[in-house]
Amino acid sequence: MTATLLRQVEGAALGWLSRNRDRFALGTDALTSDGSVNATWKPLGELAQVCSSLRVYIPRSDPLHARVRDLLAFAWRETEQGELLVRLQRAEPFATYPLEVYAAFASAGLRHHGFEEAAAALSRTRGRQLTEQDPTRRLGVVMAQRHSGFGRHDERLDERLDEIVRRTWLGGLPEPWTFERSAGYALTHVVFHLTDWGRGGPGLPSDLAAYLATWLPAWLTTCLEAGMWDLGCELLAVAASLPGPPEEAVPVRDAWAAIADARLDSGALPEEAGAGEADAEDPGDASPFARCYHSTLMAAFAAGLTAGQGGSR
Amino acid sequence: MKQSGTTALLQGAVQDLASRVASALPGGGHAPPADTSAGGGPRGDLELAAARLLGADLVLPSVLQRTAPAEDLLALLRRTLDAFPPRPRAAPTVLWSHWGMRRALRLVDVSAPGPDESRAQPGVDWIADAPWPLLTHQLAVLAPLALPATLPAEDCAVARVARERTLDVSRGFVRAIRRRDWQQAAGAGRWLAVSEHVPATLGLDAGLDFVELMGGADPRVYLQVRAARLLRARAFV
Repeated sequence: MTATLLRQVEGAALGWLSRNRDRFALGTDALTSDGSVNATWKPLGELAQVCSSLRVYIPRSDPLHARVRDLLAFAWRETEQGELLVRLQRAEPFATYPLEVYAAFASAGLRHHGFEEAAAALSRTRGRQLTEQDPTRRLGVVMAQRHSGFGRHDERLDERLDEIVRRTWLGGLPEPWTFERSAGYALTHVVFHLTDWGRGGPGLPSDLAAYLATWLPAWLTTCLEAGMWDLGCELLAVAASLPGPPEEAVPVRDAWAAIADARLDSGALPEEAGAGEADAEDPGDASPFARCYHSTLMAAFAAGLTAGQGGSR
Repeated sequence: MKQSGTTALLQGAVQDLASRVASALPGGGHAPPADTSAGGGPRGDLELAAARLLGADLVLPSVLQRTAPAEDLLALLRRTLDAFPPRPRAAPTVLWSHWGMRRALRLVDVSAPGPDESRAQPGVDWIADAPWPLLTHQLAVLAPLALPATLPAEDCAVARVARERTLDVSRGFVRAIRRRDWQQAAGAGRWLAVSEHVPATLGLDAGLDFVELMGGADPRVYLQVRAARLLRARAFV
């Protein structure tokens, strides 16, 4: 039952992403100083990140594998095989987001030697190391360095990771009833970073895994009751990242039924209930895409991870 | 939607009673005043209906301190039991609430032993395997049944289910707070206060403080939070 639902959600989401592939194109303002990162590099990096993970989970024999591979290749072409990321890094040498976007490609084996050399040099500066960031983002940068071929031989890496993790909302094991939207997104990203977006990584410390298994059901249920589909999918991906037999730690059958029901006819998943009911494929209106693309990516990601975890492939 | 006049009056009457009970709990303190804009105390049917909603908590201070309740409250409890005998096919919460009032009467008024059949407990099938959100909701409705296991009272099957499903009730407590349902959160918190093995990461004490901070202006919420703290601190005779 759940396997069928997962397949439907994943297939519909990837279908919508393929049909709307060009909406992820960088556009002319991606390298201008007043360009909006959130409307250019962020969606493209997220597309690359999800596809990098899904290509591991979806077997080559599955037609969805080719779809994912095509989306990833498209995203890489958009960066001109990394050249635009080199230019972006030169324009903003001490910003960390070019490295974070690059790492999504590098983790799938799509690499640019020049970018990595420059990024490694920049990362050695005290200025870069002292960049003021919240701990969850910091964790993402450290992991991005690891994927980009440097920082991997840091003997203190585990220790440093642990120090950062303990300063995150999740790592401090807070009272679960203090969970709110921003805490939710922070915690899901701590898990995604530590598990390399479902591909392994350093993994979750056992106390964090136990804490998540205890409280995820309450957060997942309340997010879905509130129609928060985007965060709900991220929490479903977290549930699929926990060690142990699926469905035992966090039952997700009802949650997937709710996600399947929340989809639009186009296959997209709106960020929240009531958002994105307009035709997200109307080429004249960009806002429905903005309200759907991330939740649809997360639906595909969470469904792929859950299916992989449950061995339903 | 505006509440009907009767509903508002009943709510005011319940709050009035809850406020009085909370003030009489050990440790003193002033309960938030009930909205008495209706003028004077409730009388007749309204008072009985309010007492029925408050259930066994009507005499909670006496149950915990093993002291004699105020005569008027004792009389009200007796009248409520007589006025609302549960129909055989009544909802489980109604049956259990009635059972809880009978038990409370036995605990505070040993001179009036009920017939043996009044001790028979309704079933717990409806919550034994219920999903945790429903379980927590139903337990919160029956919060007056959450009493210390050390009381010289007969074992209560609902309490047994609550103790066996502490993790589920903890999740329900989180859900209730997330939904800003302070009454449910306070009721669930009271059950957790009498349960063992509450997950340490829940932060129950801070959670009760939070529920009081956010919802304690309602005397019914305040009463449950005060009861939970006393039960948790074992601050009773």
